[in-house]
Amino acid sequence: MPAKPVVKRLPARKGLFAGFKGNVDAITIGLKYLVDPKRFTLIYPNEYIKLDPGYRGFIVLDPKKCIHCSSCARICPAAAMRMIKRMEEDPKTGKPKMKLWPVINYQRCIFCGYCVDVCPTEALYTVPYHDIVYENMAEMDWSLETFVKPPEHPTAKEGIPVKYIVDEEKGLVKVRAEEVEEK
Amino acid sequence: MSVWVYGEQKSELGLEGTITRKLEEDLYEVFIGPQHPGSGHMRIIIRIDGDIIVEADPDMGYVHRTMEKLSEGREWIKNVPLFERMAIHDACNVTVSYVMALERILGIEPPPRAKYLRTLLCEINRIAAHLYGFGIFGVFIGHSTMYMWSFADREVMVELAEKLTGARLTHSYPIPGGARRDMPQDFPQAARKAVRYFRRRLDEYRKIFLDNPVTRKRLEGVGIIPKKIAAELGVVGPVARASGIKYDARLAEPYDAYDEVEFEVPVYEEGDALARAWVKFEEIKQSLRIIEQAVDWLEKHPREAPIHERFWAKAPPLWKKVFEAEGRVKLLPLMANLKLPPGRAMARSETARGEIVYYVESDGKTTPYRVRIVSPSARNAIVFKYIAPGYKVMDLPTIYGSIDYFPPEADR
Ligand code: SF4
Ligand code: SF4
Repeated sequence: MPAKPVVKRLPARKGLFAGFKGNVDAITIGLKYLVDPKRFTLIYPNEYIKLDPGYRGFIVLDPKKCIHCSSCARICPAAAMRMIKRMEEDPKTGKPKMKLWPVINYQRCIFCGYCVDVCPTEALYTVPYHDIVYENMAEMDWSLETFVKPPEHPTAKEGIPVKYIVDEEKGLVKVRAEEVEEK
Repeated sequence: MSVWVYGEQKSELGLEGTITRKLEEDLYEVFIGPQHPGSGHMRIIIRIDGDIIVEADPDMGYVHRTMEKLSEGREWIKNVPLFERMAIHDACNVTVSYVMALERILGIEPPPRAKYLRTLLCEINRIAAHLYGFGIFGVFIGHSTMYMWSFADREVMVELAEKLTGARLTHSYPIPGGARRDMPQDFPQAARKAVRYFRRRLDEYRKIFLDNPVTRKRLEGVGIIPKKIAAELGVVGPVARASGIKYDARLAEPYDAYDEVEFEVPVYEEGDALARAWVKFEEIKQSLRIIEQAVDWLEKHPREAPIHERFWAKAPPLWKKVFEAEGRVKLLPLMANLKLPPGRAMARSETARGEIVYYVESDGKTTPYRVRIVSPSARNAIVFKYIAPGYKVMDLPTIYGSIDYFPPEADR
């Protein structure tokens, strides 16, 4: 069944007390939320959101899985991922051999997740956090050594993990992460 | 006497408004913007006679990013995140038609599951964008409660979008042949809760904003666009529908799952700012209906990879394993250098602000030969020039807010 256009009319505002009723309605609603406010402010960094595992956060490389295929660098729309050359010892022959490794530049990354989805061996994975602060731009251009381990997540050390869940009555509510996970 | 609009009398154009006379010497020129007069960067140069706008000149282009040209240097799929940046809070709606154009050139049709998933995200985006519009509109006319409320409630939709795609805003969700993720297991429950919440909440919106006599006084009879003029100016989206034009891209050329779901396209005939607000308000209700239907459909049907056979049939076992475990559709490495056959295609979709049209031409390479975008805000900006004259200066925010003009999308 496709859509159908429906012509509607604006609600009429007639009668002596129409304006009065409208004002009373508006003020009543306003007062209701003055008495019982619906707040879900995150007290960051005392609290932080524990994001779902599917969240597209920072990307990390698992060097054991990488097959040096460059697919991630080719699909990157922001040119954040690039391949670097490394001389490495071949485990079989013991001779030095040139290898390509991906590195990521977080100055450019837009977190589209294409690289994670395209990697043929799932060598790239995302961590569910993104609130990492850098002191300067250069630090955001990761080296291979930084890229192979998950970045430190300082807020997780101090803050309380919370989650936002959709609620029928209040829209969003903030709850302790443990409470959600228990369910 | 009547208002002069670039040498023509406004009454001759059939437009209504406050009557004023032309006073060359006593006109003041006021520059509104470009330091963020509203939801973005643009300037409106108005000439006023006392308190009445005599001439208005929208000066656009402050956030022009040469998007059409940039796209020519990027592989097909890389343009999805690029075009998304026209309206990041309406990401799926603005990119789905680009992806559809690519699918037309490739001669493939996404599977039904992908269509429903895209439709689902499109409607989530539409509600979020309308709430964003309401928030900006509210703060324009000094109703900061509306701003706070709709930005807080928008968060519900953003949360749903994050559950579905893994990103709050720029989802990069549609790809040629399908969609990038299936919904997680806990999504239907959350979506239904959100729908029920909004149904109740919208009634409160009506009471505090739309039916509030203070707001109504400021919106009613302001920025009237008669039906004939709306057609001549070529406005689209809620602006056109508030003037009695029964036009919606989802109606004219149903795409994705829109020919299977049941919904109404609300049309009002008054053509003023109030009618435009009501169109958006009613559209949110319809979007909620579509979300419900899409979630029901997705739950009933087996979980299959929402992508065309061409990109899935030959996929290695790992692809299927990841999809079963996480619902994530992995891309084949060929996606990066996808070659489209020579050809041209057009596609349109209905974004929150109106119809967006893509014309895509391929000459058989891995990058587009030409992509032409006609975005809804670019078409609606003309309203400032022809409709604003005749109203008071304080009505300009009302007109701006009611057409929900969004510079980054208009300038591209
Ligand atoms: S997430 Fe996107 S932008 Fe970032 S490195 Fe991966 S492909 Fe590039
Ligand atoms: S796509 Fe995966 S396997 Fe290939 S180079 Fe990148 S990380 Fe390594």
